[in-house]
Amino acid sequence: MTLDWTLENGIGLITLDRPPSNTMTLGFFNEFRDLVATIGRERGLKAVIIRGRGRHFSSGADVQELLDCTEPGLMMENYRTFQLLEEMPVPVIAAIRGVCLGSAFELALFCHFRICSHDAVLGLPETNFNLMPGIGGIQRMAALAAEARAVELVLRGNTFQAAEAFTYGLADYLVPKQQVLDSAMSLAAWLPGTYQRENRKLYIQQYLRKHHDGIQR
Amino acid sequence: MTGAIGVITLNDPPSNTLALPEFIPPEVLRDWTSHPELKGLIIRGEGKNFSTGGNLDRIFSANPDELKDWMQRGHLLLEEIRRLDVPVIAAINRVCFGGGLEIALACHIRVASENALLAFPEVNHGVMPGMGGTFRLPAVAGFSASASMILGGDIVAAGDALKMGIIDHLAPKDKAFETAMTLLQKMTSDRPVEVVRFVMRALRNAYELPRKEAMAEEVRMFCTLAAREAERRRKGDS
Repeated sequence: MTLDWTLENGIGLITLDRPPSNTMTLGFFNEFRDLVATIGRERGLKAVIIRGRGRHFSSGADVQELLDCTEPGLMMENYRTFQLLEEMPVPVIAAIRGVCLGSAFELALFCHFRICSHDAVLGLPETNFNLMPGIGGIQRMAALAAEARAVELVLRGNTFQAAEAFTYGLADYLVPKQQVLDSAMSLAAWLPGTYQRENRKLYIQQYLRKHHDGIQR
Repeated sequence: MTGAIGVITLNDPPSNTLALPEFIPPEVLRDWTSHPELKGLIIRGEGKNFSTGGNLDRIFSANPDELKDWMQRGHLLLEEIRRLDVPVIAAINRVCFGGGLEIALACHIRVASENALLAFPEVNHGVMPGMGGTFRLPAVAGFSASASMILGGDIVAAGDALKMGIIDHLAPKDKAFETAMTLLQKMTSDRPVEVVRFVMRALRNAYELPRKEAMAEEVRMFCTLAAREAERRRKGDS
């Protein structure tokens, strides 16, 4: 198993569970697809949190495995899984510590909220391997960040710190690394009954106003 | 063109006034950008300034149909620049007003020297930005900041422009071109030309196409690159 799933008090917790770096293998994507389909049928679900086991969120897919994706089928399936997650009617929160790169950052970009530790390192490094992000990261980057930033970050493929991600609009707020999961839990339990994905900006603003010490600019 | 980077220079110093909104004939732009190895483009001004903008005397002496035609062509040219599948950076030293700022806003990324000055002074002459500035400025700076900048006709210094989101990078005094070139090298050198062009196309699709279509093409492009890279590595190993 490369994934762990628990559901407590209506809050579903997905843990990417292949430490130390929680690499997203073909096996992971299969399990993840099945899990997301299952979660969609869960009654009484109030929120979903995604995190990585241990120090890191995930270093993303294995480059060798990506190079085998020469037919669209598998990538389209992974994209549809990410989209199903995005379409959930409850808050979907990425709780990010350590590295969150490539496919893992694409996954995080499909979440409704990204809470990062100050030491989180993010990026889409695919161009360094003569590839490009292929599971919708480009689409989400275009939606969240300014066009100039999206062009630069995807082409350069450089990694960047959480504080930068925050200024680009790619992270919603930053907390010390010990508090990432607790903060995600707190946001998940806040007012999920009133949540609408279309109003996510207003929702997070109001949440941060109530929990002001969570903000780090 | 130096290496794989093309450089377009607005060349009417010292002010680089734009004789026409369509500052390059589209066929010349197409010719310059059709080079198969091209990976990026910089637009800059000759000499000290980027551009003071359009020639007002000429604009006010044109007849209405002629003027409308000029503006339309200028607008189409800027759209063509923004839709290029290589990254385009505006390298802005010192003065960047009116039509100059319209050009800069049509580029994908704006690098300005710390002594750069930006403005839409059109209202001071009883007119308004007419080549897309009224929708491109709000896209980067938001509605209220754009309204006050366009209606006020005031000059914005580079440092403030950075905070407002109008420019993306600040360069040392008069060094916008050098900084833009370094940035463009970081984005494109060591990358096959297809990687650069596919990424730019995927981003353009993200803004222009329904998500489903954009995704289908993104995945197709990804698979093409994966197949090429896998092939390259196999050859490299043998």
